[in-house]
Amino acid sequence: MVEFDRSAFISKFQEEAGDLLQRLNEGVITLEGDPGNRELIDQMLRDAHTLKGSSRMVGLIDISDIAHRLEDIMVKIRDGEMAYASSLSDHFFEALDTIVYLTENAGKDNVDPDLDLEALQKSLTKVAEAGGKAEGTIPAHEPVPDVGEAVADGEPSHEIADAEDVMEIHEEDEGPASAEAPRQAKGASERQDDSLRPKIQHTIRIRTGQIDRLLNLISEVVISQIKAEQRVIELRQSVSEMAEIWAAWSQLKSVLNSLPIDDDPMREQAVDDMSTLDGLLSDRRRSLAAFAKSYNDDTSRTSIVLNDLQQQGMRLRMLPVSTVFNTFPRAMRELARSFKKDVDLIIEGGDTELDKKILEEINDPLIHIMRNAVDHGIESTDVRAAAGKPEKGTIRMAARQEGDHIVIEVSDDGAGIDPDKVRAAAIRKGYITESEAKSMSDREATYLIFEKGFSTSPIITEISGRGVGMDVVREFIVEKLKGSLDVTTEMGKGSTFLLTIPLTLAIIRALMLRVGDQTFALPTASVDETLRILPEEIIKVEGREVIRRQRRTVPLVHLGDILSVPSAGLEATKIPIATIGFSGHRMGFVVDQLLGEQQIVIKTLGTHLQKIDNVAGVTILGAGEVVPILNVPDLMENARYRAGQKVGTVETEERKGPARILICEDSFTTRELERSIFEAAGYDVEVAVDGAQGYAKLKEGLSPDAVVTDVQMPNMTGFELTRAIRSDPELSDIPVVIVTSLERDEEKTEGIEAGADAYITKSVFNQDTLLDTVERLIR
Amino acid sequence: MNVDDATKDAGTDRTEKLAHTAAEVLKRRAESLAQEAETEEAKSLMSVLLFRIGPEWYAVRVEDVREIYQEYALTPIPCVPDYIQGVVNIRGEIISVTDIAMLMRLGRVSGLIEMPAAIVVQNDDCATAMVVDEIGDIAEIATDGVEPPLSIIDKVQAEFIAGSLQIDSRLVGLLNVDRVLQPIGTTD
Repeated sequence: MVEFDRSAFISKFQEEAGDLLQRLNEGVITLEGDPGNRELIDQMLRDAHTLKGSSRMVGLIDISDIAHRLEDIMVKIRDGEMAYASSLSDHFFEALDTIVYLTENAGKDNVDPDLDLEALQKSLTKVAEAGGKAEGTIPAHEPVPDVGEAVADGEPSHEIADAEDVMEIHEEDEGPASAEAPRQAKGASERQDDSLRPKIQHTIRIRTGQIDRLLNLISEVVISQIKAEQRVIELRQSVSEMAEIWAAWSQLKSVLNSLPIDDDPMREQAVDDMSTLDGLLSDRRRSLAAFAKSYNDDTSRTSIVLNDLQQQGMRLRMLPVSTVFNTFPRAMRELARSFKKDVDLIIEGGDTELDKKILEEINDPLIHIMRNAVDHGIESTDVRAAAGKPEKGTIRMAARQEGDHIVIEVSDDGAGIDPDKVRAAAIRKGYITESEAKSMSDREATYLIFEKGFSTSPIITEISGRGVGMDVVREFIVEKLKGSLDVTTEMGKGSTFLLTIPLTLAIIRALMLRVGDQTFALPTASVDETLRILPEEIIKVEGREVIRRQRRTVPLVHLGDILSVPSAGLEATKIPIATIGFSGHRMGFVVDQLLGEQQIVIKTLGTHLQKIDNVAGVTILGAGEVVPILNVPDLMENARYRAGQKVGTVETEERKGPARILICEDSFTTRELERSIFEAAGYDVEVAVDGAQGYAKLKEGLSPDAVVTDVQMPNMTGFELTRAIRSDPELSDIPVVIVTSLERDEEKTEGIEAGADAYITKSVFNQDTLLDTVERLIR
Repeated sequence: MNVDDATKDAGTDRTEKLAHTAAEVLKRRAESLAQEAETEEAKSLMSVLLFRIGPEWYAVRVEDVREIYQEYALTPIPCVPDYIQGVVNIRGEIISVTDIAMLMRLGRVSGLIEMPAAIVVQNDDCATAMVVDEIGDIAEIATDGVEPPLSIIDKVQAEFIAGSLQIDSRLVGLLNVDRVLQPIGTTD
């Protein structure tokens, strides 16, 4: 009757229903003494309604139907169509007991065969109807005496009575109902005995806010403990100093004792004093040592307990991932049906525990990945058969704990992701140039599916699959949960998505670093590597500082510039750098000092500072020092901005219609940067990926107010383009601005000789120079 | 009969007039009584904590004050508005530190003292530690002693002032705590 995949919901329902039923039971009793209690009536109505809804959700229709009847009755009571009479209580209790019984046995097959739900339903319906007819008078006269007696006798025979009442209305039910009645009564009495036994509650519900406050206090105690441990060290020091003093004193004592004896009374006095002092000193020394030892013992004992306390405290927020996973088989079946695929879902490691907050967040990304796997990963049955694979596809979802992280693996045995198709689509969509695509490894190309907006392209989804909403998944995992997302794929064999999530949002590993006189924490999850490089390893490309790592160029940014924290200057000859990989981009952050990695507890910036650029929160270090935690997504965005100079709003003067600019530039980044600068300034921008394309556009009749071109481009260089423009009578008066990294004078001369109107080197390049220059030329 | 009628009519007129006047009087009296009641009610007192920014004194309702915080280790936070000095750790809770003078564009807290005192103010949503030059006494004032803010106040500052108070012949601005506690969402 009850489907297997509902079991997870059922336990949730049982938990919820337990509370509701308890409250309804209490409500019935209170209402008996105070039948006009409006608030209570409303609350009971709500509870019955909730019970109806949630039982229906998990497919427990019987419970839902009974709750529905109760709701009907409560509605009538609320609307004044019937008054609450104590006689109603028995109906309520019977209904509630039945629901309790059904709830406890939900999902089990051994439901009491004697349970006559129909009769109960009918008797409740009758109560509701009778009440309706009675219009505010005491309802259901007929069953009342029967029920009253039965309960008074301690015999739960009222069920028979009820059944008979019902039968009066529905004659055709008479036969079977009366035949079942005696057995039913027995079953009911057993149930009633059960219901009289106090239930042992193994769980209590606590608001998460309360737990957080508790954890807050625990970490405060931890801080005090760390201070206490420091005191222990100080104390040990003073013990050893005391020992030194004692040694010195002993030496002095023996010297004094070895002096020749004379009868000077002064001396006698001094010897007396000395021995008193000697005793005192020796006492003090011993008691200090003893105190230090017991204090040390106490502190280490506390420390062990505290460690435990902290861990147990953290565990309060943990729940098994099965609470989320168990809803998936059903979701999977629906997905498979809607995509017309045949898929098995295997779930492993459901008992792995995770912070509640993370669990709440993780559902959607997992569903997303599953949907993609079903939609694009798993092939249709005949394709699979043709490829010699089992017709039924398999998706495996496995969770396991690795250190302080949870790893969730979602793998399918589908077609895999074709990196070439991703490359092709990315080029078509303008994410990368062809040359960039060529220099990308297959792995890097595959990562393009996580690019923002990349997925939404219909072309990419069509050909490569695995596109829909992968950026959303990445955003969730990386930005919200501070985890990481990885994908491995093999053509024809399938793909595996690997989600690495911190165990709790409260604790993460972080790289501690210094900029200026401040310490910052950088979440380790996104740190690729930490380096210490020589200044000469920094290369200048297009006016930007970069380093080469694993045959890739990594742009450098000074963290202090982004945070507006003045750098204290370098202490060592080597420059400390932390490189961060984030959503397919790599960036090196130059810092003053790398301090090392450690676990930190994340705290918010408080209620007042809701969102601060670049700062995700703070942590409190052992000594009570507060350290800001950097926000990687913000940093990366700002760094990319900065690496390409700031793009801000630029005031432009009024002009007739927007001026049009043609930008010829083969580097995607520079092109887009220039585009945004001009667009922000109100220009109409056309782009070309090289001189030849630019020239073609000009010949096609695009008449820009100015051309901005790079020098080194495939097919036609900027110089060649400039010469072509100058020698073409139709185009010759279009101003040409050359933007280049070539700084040598000869090249500048060549540019001017070619007929360029302006020559801007990328190293001095900024939006103002560029805009000013173009502005001047157009006017 | 006629005379009688006339007299009667006149009498009725007069009675009506009287009744009208009476009603009027009663109404006025009721109004004045109501006003008295209001005045009575307004005589209730409220406590304010005085504090100084530069040469000027301000007040904050005691009920908005959570605590006064004297010795704290300030942690600067990058990329915050200029009036946020940073955060402090008050018994495990992170609280922002607002330079109230900067926020109100009154200049900066003089900075003569190494560690100026801070008043932790809060409403239902959030809390911040306001750094001030000096913390004064707690004064009891009549609730109706709160007058509308002086119209001569600079527009920039007006939104921070809920009203003005007369305390010991000194005119004191009552702080609009809700404005000070406006959550900071972005860098601007």
